[in-house]
Amino acid sequence: MASGLLGCRVLSAFRLLSVSLYRSVLFTQNRDKKRWLRPYLRQLERKRLLEGPPPPTPRSQQPNWDYEAEIQAFCVRLHETFTMDLLKTAFVNACYIKSEETRRQNLGLDKQAVALNLKNNQELSDIGASFAHTYLTNCFKDAYPEMPLEGVTAIIAFLTNPELICHVARNLGFEDLTLSSEFPVPQNVLQCTFNAVLGALLQSKGPQRTEIFIRDFLITQLIGKDLFDVWTVVNPMGLLVDELAKRNISAPEPRLTRQSGVSTVMPLYFVGLYCDKKLLAEGPGETMLAAEEEVARVALRKLYGYTDNRRPWDYFTPRQELRTVKAVNNN
Amino acid sequence: MTSRGTPSRFLKSVLQNGVGRYVCQLKRLTFVFSHDALTSRGVRDFIEEKVVDFAKQNPSVVVYVTPQRCDVPKLTAEYLNGNMKEEAINCKTADEIMELVKKMVNQSGLDIIRIRKSYHTDSPSIQGQWHPFINKPTSLTLKSFEKINQGMEANP
Repeated sequence: MASGLLGCRVLSAFRLLSVSLYRSVLFTQNRDKKRWLRPYLRQLERKRLLEGPPPPTPRSQQPNWDYEAEIQAFCVRLHETFTMDLLKTAFVNACYIKSEETRRQNLGLDKQAVALNLKNNQELSDIGASFAHTYLTNCFKDAYPEMPLEGVTAIIAFLTNPELICHVARNLGFEDLTLSSEFPVPQNVLQCTFNAVLGALLQSKGPQRTEIFIRDFLITQLIGKDLFDVWTVVNPMGLLVDELAKRNISAPEPRLTRQSGVSTVMPLYFVGLYCDKKLLAEGPGETMLAAEEEVARVALRKLYGYTDNRRPWDYFTPRQELRTVKAVNNN
Repeated sequence: MTSRGTPSRFLKSVLQNGVGRYVCQLKRLTFVFSHDALTSRGVRDFIEEKVVDFAKQNPSVVVYVTPQRCDVPKLTAEYLNGNMKEEAINCKTADEIMELVKKMVNQSGLDIIRIRKSYHTDSPSIQGQWHPFINKPTSLTLKSFEKINQGMEANP
């Protein structure tokens, strides 16, 4: 036993010697079973489990990234021709410039080298946002002339809310190109970038192309959405009474028209709304109150021209041309 | 496992693609191949003969070519919705790779899982949803008491 210990010590001393004295010897062979390997791997695995998945890295910091090529491809993909400088400016956010400058300062560069000669996209973003807002307002006022202003604003609020815009931007590849201080790109920054791209398009190609862009990528998001998914109306009957009063139609009178399975767990009531003894709308419900609310909604949809079987949105002719055609027909 | 247990989705496109305009969903293609291995021979042929033409025909796709030591050459496709697909292209000829690339260009990038129905509509019914009273005459709601009255008269 003692001799074994001694042997070990001698061996370790010899190993030390070999490393310290002969620098050129980098590897000493040992052929025993590597009993340290399993615990080491297990520890690595445990560490990985504790730490969780690594934070996501932006695509621009991963291998194979050519900003010029990506931006070119971005334009072609969307079938738009941008002025390149404007488009590049549209992707530069103020937070990126700030963080990049502080990073350079921390690296110890002098003041002239620190300053990034970049313009941020705030101006373009403001232009784009205001243009989108006015275009959407005009568009929906034209399309649904019977709709009150609250309805139109509700639809526009739905189309311009940050969540929807970010969803659109993420699925159009904006996130890769956006220059932002954080990753994943925060919602407000991505929304700002989207608006800035709209602004860049407006400045490089004029309003008509921008309108078509908004129509193709934002208005399509309304497909399959009901009016009252977008616009929360708490008291539809009250709204209906107001609307009918505006049109000088007498107050609606709800009547139970049909019922089925009243004593079962799945009752069905049909309520009809009558104005001057004429059926305005009919709607179903599980209780009479629910049916009455539903029928008010059905009547409102009919009044505003937002029924399920309305004509689909026209995605083919630009709005401007449509208007001129209408004017010609009227004349 | 039965088909009901597998993941599934309804037929859909990314961002209602094609309603307004068609946007090619493939954004990036990366070829990783070895410059001398036998398994990468087809890729090398493809890069010599076809990749430039492909890139010219599809300017919306950014193509990266990376020669690097590897046994299995890889083709990585990145889609607009953030999905990434990696395919091994060892022992494939240039034509086979071209076919694969064309398939990737035409795909939407959504997960390839069972699709519940081969059709989809956003307005399920133009005439309105079916309910038990559809096409029933309104006279059904009226009740006639003639028979009862007759019975009453017969047996007073």
